[in-house]
Amino acid sequence: MRISAFFEARWFPALFLLFLLVIPLTTNNYFQFVINLVLCYVLIGFGQQLILGYAGQFSFANAAFMGIGAYTTSIIFTLNVPILIALMAGGLLAALVACLVGLPALRLSRVYLALATIAFGEMTTWILTHWNSVTKGGDGMYSPVPVFFGYSLDTDTERYFLIAIVCFVMVMIAQRMLASKFGRAFIAIRENEMVASCNGINIPLYKTIAFALSGFYAGVGGGLYAIAVNYIVPDNYDLFQLVIHFALVMVGGLGSMYGVIVGALVLTTLPEVLRDFQHYQEMLYGVLLIVFIVFIPRGVAGFLKDWKILPREILVHGWREEIPHVREAAKTAAVFNVGAGAEDRGAEH
Amino acid sequence: MAVNDVSMHIDRGRIHGLIGPNGAGKSTLFNAMSGLVPISQGSICFEGVDVTHLPVHLRAPRGIRRTFQHVQLMEDRTVLENVLVGMHSSISTNPFKSVFGLGAEGSPDKAAREAAREVLQFLGIGHIALTEMGGLTIAEHRFAELARALVARPRLLLLDEPAAGLSLRSTEALDALLVRIRDEWGATIVLVEHRIDLVLNVSDVVTVLDNGSIIASGRGQDVIEDSGVKRAYLGVDEEE
Repeated sequence: MRISAFFEARWFPALFLLFLLVIPLTTNNYFQFVINLVLCYVLIGFGQQLILGYAGQFSFANAAFMGIGAYTTSIIFTLNVPILIALMAGGLLAALVACLVGLPALRLSRVYLALATIAFGEMTTWILTHWNSVTKGGDGMYSPVPVFFGYSLDTDTERYFLIAIVCFVMVMIAQRMLASKFGRAFIAIRENEMVASCNGINIPLYKTIAFALSGFYAGVGGGLYAIAVNYIVPDNYDLFQLVIHFALVMVGGLGSMYGVIVGALVLTTLPEVLRDFQHYQEMLYGVLLIVFIVFIPRGVAGFLKDWKILPREILVHGWREEIPHVREAAKTAAVFNVGAGAEDRGAEH
Repeated sequence: MAVNDVSMHIDRGRIHGLIGPNGAGKSTLFNAMSGLVPISQGSICFEGVDVTHLPVHLRAPRGIRRTFQHVQLMEDRTVLENVLVGMHSSISTNPFKSVFGLGAEGSPDKAAREAAREVLQFLGIGHIALTEMGGLTIAEHRFAELARALVARPRLLLLDEPAAGLSLRSTEALDALLVRIRDEWGATIVLVEHRIDLVLNVSDVVTVLDNGSIIASGRGQDVIEDSGVKRAYLGVDEEE
């Protein structure tokens, strides 16, 4: 049996949830903290993957969306609002801002959109640093200890359950959404906007949806990040954070849902493994980005798919139900030699 | 001006061939019909409705679909995914239905998959439904693009050089399929094609463009015998 079949099984999500729930039994505090960060970066990575890997929009603002989510969640939670609502509020505000940031994307080409979104990111960092009365400025602010249904989540292990459940639910939603007409519309826009519109796709609407969803995932991820690290400063959301987001999707695999998880796992644990070389961390991310962009554009997930360790990602609900029909059609094609058969391959290539 | 004073009536359920030398304005006319090029004067009506200023993405749900001179597909995705892009307008935009499968339809893409399966089998490429475009032949690309245009059962199908790059055998298959699309699927087809034999074989009416204007229109064999057409399109002068 191929390893990928294991991931494709219907019971795999349930098994994975069970796996997530038993992880704390095997960890110490430090290891648990790192795992919490991995899960936060899975959501943050999904935000970047959605807008860059799927919709093909050169948005460099996701670090800012993450910051908006982190600060909003922390500030709202101090008003004794339930933590899940505070997280949703952080995600929704980030989504709203992302919609506004996405407006230029309806008109700007790639390079200009990149420049506009970088400018927005820098502006956000500046506001977070200088809006002392709300954000406590450059000194940063403590994120309050989350309370979940009256239970105070004091330790990393206790926080893990909140982070893991939110992450699991949001990844499942992302997976279903990308496998639907939305995911296909994003890729169609990435490939060719003119062709997409000829097939009935409303380009401005779907670009705005992509920006909103990307902002929402970055915002909720940022809120969870604030809960995980307990203390946030504006510098957390500067250009280096953006490099981490890009490295995450490039190393994991651009345009792959599995790639986000692989990227988050690699890029969150790697700096912990190389703690003795902390000064070189930024350089390490830069080198990794260059190496993967130039030599391994499909990322680690691409390799794992080629080796049939990870399954194929076909953006159609229930596509496996088509396998028997494809096999049946293959028999007919072989017998009657219909359509554009294999015979043509030699003639045309 | 690429197209000037062109007036065309396309009968429902017919195949209308559009030919002319390079630069005659065929592609511009085609792009104007599909909404990709705005027109400065005149109007375009489809089934009695003025669609001149209708945005491109709103023409597809009305039943206007097209293919492209250079095949335009998502190369890193499968044939099935590409074909389902053509079903975009037919799938509910309500995320509770299209993402979570809540409601009477059940599985979100079930009806779309069935439609895709039917059209792929009709075109004889059902066996490559789950194959990525990257490794497929030019013929398979052409047929996959045709499937994407056909899957939502268009009433007007605009085909831009569908036989370009095809082998003789695939062209013959296409020839038969175009007639079946007209007769069995009830689609009206506008065909821009350089292979005159294909156009003459399948078209009910042939229109010839030259320098942005219509120089002849009628039954294929009559049109091709027209002295003006021979001179402009084939470079043959009757007196020679």
